[in-house]
Amino acid sequence: MGFLSILIFLPLLAALVMLLLPKSAAGSAKYLALAATAGQLLLTGYLYVHFDTAQAGINDVNSFQYVEQLSWIRLQIGADKLLEIDYFLGLDGLSLPLIVLSAVVMLMAIGASWNITKSVKGYFALLMLLNTAVMGVFCALDFFLFYVFYEVMLLPLYFLIGIWGGVRREYAAVKFFIYTLLGSVFMLLVIVGLYFSVTNPATGANTFNMLHMMNPANYGEESFFGWVRNFHEIFGIPARLIGFAILFIAFAIKVPIVPLHTWLPDAHVEAPTPVSIILAGILLKVGGYGILRICIGIFPDMAALSNWWLGLIGVISILYGAFNALAQKDLKRLIAYSSVSHMGFVLLGIATLTTEGISGAMFQMISHGFLSAALFFLVGVIYDRVHDRNIYNFRGLASHMPRYTVFVAIAFFASLGLPGFSAFIGEAFVIIGAFNSESVGTGLPRWMAVGGSIGILLSAVYFLWTLQRMFFGQTRFKGGEEWATALTDVTVREQTILYPALALAIILGIMPSLVFTPLNESVMRLVSVVSSFL
Amino acid sequence: MYEFAPQITPIIDHIIDSVRSFRPEIAISIAFIGTIFCSLFADRYWKQASFSVFLIGLLAAGYLTYTQNTENIPVFFDMLRIDTFSQYARLIILFAVTIIGLYIQQYGSYQLPKKRLGDIYSILLATTLGLHLLTLTTHWIMAFIAVEMVSIGSYVLVAYFAQNKKESEAAMKYVLFGSTCAAFMLYGLSLLYGFTGSLDFSSIAQMKGLIAAPMVLSTVALLFVFVGIGFKLGFVPFHVWTPDVYEGAPTPITAFLATVPKVGAIVLFSRLILAWTASPFYFGEVTLHFLCFVAIVTMLIGNLVALRQQNIKRLLAYSSVGHTGFLLLAVLSYVHHEPEVLFFYLATYTLMNLAVFGFIMILEKQTGSAYLADYAGLGKRFPLVFTGLTFAGISLVGLPPTAGFVGKLLVFTSIFDIYQTLDQSLYLYLLIVGVLTSVISLFYYLKIPLYGFLRQASSGTIMDLSNRISCPIYGIALFFTVLLLVFGLFPDLLLDFFRLP
Repeated sequence: MGFLSILIFLPLLAALVMLLLPKSAAGSAKYLALAATAGQLLLTGYLYVHFDTAQAGINDVNSFQYVEQLSWIRLQIGADKLLEIDYFLGLDGLSLPLIVLSAVVMLMAIGASWNITKSVKGYFALLMLLNTAVMGVFCALDFFLFYVFYEVMLLPLYFLIGIWGGVRREYAAVKFFIYTLLGSVFMLLVIVGLYFSVTNPATGANTFNMLHMMNPANYGEESFFGWVRNFHEIFGIPARLIGFAILFIAFAIKVPIVPLHTWLPDAHVEAPTPVSIILAGILLKVGGYGILRICIGIFPDMAALSNWWLGLIGVISILYGAFNALAQKDLKRLIAYSSVSHMGFVLLGIATLTTEGISGAMFQMISHGFLSAALFFLVGVIYDRVHDRNIYNFRGLASHMPRYTVFVAIAFFASLGLPGFSAFIGEAFVIIGAFNSESVGTGLPRWMAVGGSIGILLSAVYFLWTLQRMFFGQTRFKGGEEWATALTDVTVREQTILYPALALAIILGIMPSLVFTPLNESVMRLVSVVSSFL
Repeated sequence: MYEFAPQITPIIDHIIDSVRSFRPEIAISIAFIGTIFCSLFADRYWKQASFSVFLIGLLAAGYLTYTQNTENIPVFFDMLRIDTFSQYARLIILFAVTIIGLYIQQYGSYQLPKKRLGDIYSILLATTLGLHLLTLTTHWIMAFIAVEMVSIGSYVLVAYFAQNKKESEAAMKYVLFGSTCAAFMLYGLSLLYGFTGSLDFSSIAQMKGLIAAPMVLSTVALLFVFVGIGFKLGFVPFHVWTPDVYEGAPTPITAFLATVPKVGAIVLFSRLILAWTASPFYFGEVTLHFLCFVAIVTMLIGNLVALRQQNIKRLLAYSSVGHTGFLLLAVLSYVHHEPEVLFFYLATYTLMNLAVFGFIMILEKQTGSAYLADYAGLGKRFPLVFTGLTFAGISLVGLPPTAGFVGKLLVFTSIFDIYQTLDQSLYLYLLIVGVLTSVISLFYYLKIPLYGFLRQASSGTIMDLSNRISCPIYGIALFFTVLLLVFGLFPDLLLDFFRLP
């Protein structure tokens, strides 16, 4: 059993132990969850330190690290077909930063759910199941295995939103589930199509191995998604383009892009704070990761063909999300829309198909991961105290909760892309990539970079305006004296969760090489794969 | 007279040989007579006498089927055909009937007023015999007799526990609808016989006859025949009896109706499709288009109507209609020479349904209701039941890591392969509808956890329920749920079993 298997199944083990706990010991579930997640964090730390940054990964199994490959399912179907599914895990520069991020955010979420009282055992067990699925998604290199983990993510989230959520939790939970499933079932068809097109050169069997899918030589001639002499069309559109589009939509729902984003504000508003943290911090990244690893990795030709549209969608998401955020009265909704806007940068960065842009997109994902986690946690702090988050119901919090205000201010400034913080690096690289795109010949026009910059400007507007509305001025609350006594400043527990997140924002802002170094080889490899099709 | 004399010996030899291949069915017949005697004479001394005879008979039949020589032997002058295909189907049927017998035995033990159960076992055995014949034959008369055996048995089963108007109504509807469909089928058969002079649908004679027959009339005859099969399978538009009957019938009987007859009918249907679509003539095309069209419509209607259901048994009725549509897709994969895909789906479908109905029986016993609204907030009280039910539901939707997912994936794979080789957009539509209806089905299967876990019981209706559940059904249903997970993670276990040599 390798490191990655331990990393994936440690939380599952914790969940099983939790379910066996007697009722009287239900309170210890959270310690178990904490121990499992802390163990994961240590493990990812170990993996990070021992990661060989010279290895690229992407489409070459030899340069993946901590690889585990076991034959899992071998089905002989019919006379001549062999279904080859492997339990195949590995790390490269794209997945390593994301598993570290997942462990950090998951730990924050456990900390944020310390005071949960409703069905504690079930709650933490579901959280651990989710944890397993997320780690699995980032490590899986077999498409079937990836899909299994990808779908397993949905159910725990459905329950976490549906049982522990707010007033309209049922609606939000079902909407989230249906949206994501709609994307992923069509993905299943593409997986099946890919499986038929790709053979394992070593055994000659059809395979779900993603790395084999990335090598054009493994595609059969005239096969459905094949490269050579492929005349397959669906409704008049070439099969490979359709395959790319379906996979892209499936992941884009997760990112989310405008106009497939409408599940996100609902899910965030209704979800309890820890689940919002996980949603924003980890799950949106699954979308970005999927686009990079799978859409671009397997369909580089189509990515090169359609990156103008991806860029356009990215810019629209940035601007539309930002304008929506401006209009929100609910603080949590505002942050949800700011997520849409910030994830738009990820898509824009990916669409540039340049090393700068994709590195920036990855960096933006990491940075947005813990910054949005911190933001949602901060919203949770006041919501826990007065059960209200309407921006206009608070005024002058600065003098009432000075420490809290400092945290909020740092998080806001970091998120709006102030130099010195991590979000700046991410957004700056994306915009550099977008500007260079025209000169490198990847085809994004310069006005898209300008659009991205306007997005940064708008994010400054809505964050600063919120700061002004809620924190400055005369102290006045809608709930009067009652609220004033309830709104105590941040506790030690809350501070211990916030410090590391904000510290990371500053550290990565000053030393971005911490992320860029492991990332670099992989991104260069990915770009070199795509650039041959430009 | 004298010219027949020399033929008598080979005929008798053939019959004796045939009897040897007919042993599983003979075991069922003996058990059938045994249960009747037991219910008349032995049950008053030992209550479980007929039940034990029932079990022993099924186990014996199972053993005999398992060890049977299946080299495609013609039996009883080609009326029956023993092959591996029917062997696996019969094993699934026997397994399901055994479990349903257990459910009925439990149901009888707590159902009030008490009713003698001896007879129901004999009816169940007779129905099983009919199902066996259904899987064994390519002969229309045999098929018709088998369909009627199954139908009449099912009518009695539905009406057996009837106490109120609803249950009687369900039985009555079932009988009326069933006999009309049977009449149609018989009419179609007589037309076919008239056109072709042969009653074996896999025979050359029938093919030739169909080719020669006037196209319009023989198409009508074919459609009439499909009415009969459609009734047993419950595909649209012959599904209208399902919701009422499923709701009105006692839950173990509903479990029976939802699974076992479908296995038998699907096997017959697969043989028919295989025999006819292989020919390049118009009736092959008619059959294939009929199949695809019905599959699409059935999946859509079954799943869409299920969205509106509040009674869990009605909900499952429509869901089983939807699954019938999907089974028709699996039939296509059988035609594509991948029988293990069909069997895998049939087996998991049976497991899922038995698990779901087992849980529903427990809930019904605890709450006395089959309405979803009455299950509000019960998830906390019966966490395992609702977890199991949710998991089985997820498997019915076809999400990983369940056996239902692997089943659907295999069917999709198979259809995709056909699409890729033939490049007909018909198969693409089948795939798209199959995938879309999976998403639709999620809506209503999610109602189970929605009511169980997400909703709170309204304060007025807190029922006085015992929290303890102790009955074999509970164990069986949980075991099946675990099996669904195991087969979802390691499908080879099941598939290797169904691999044709």
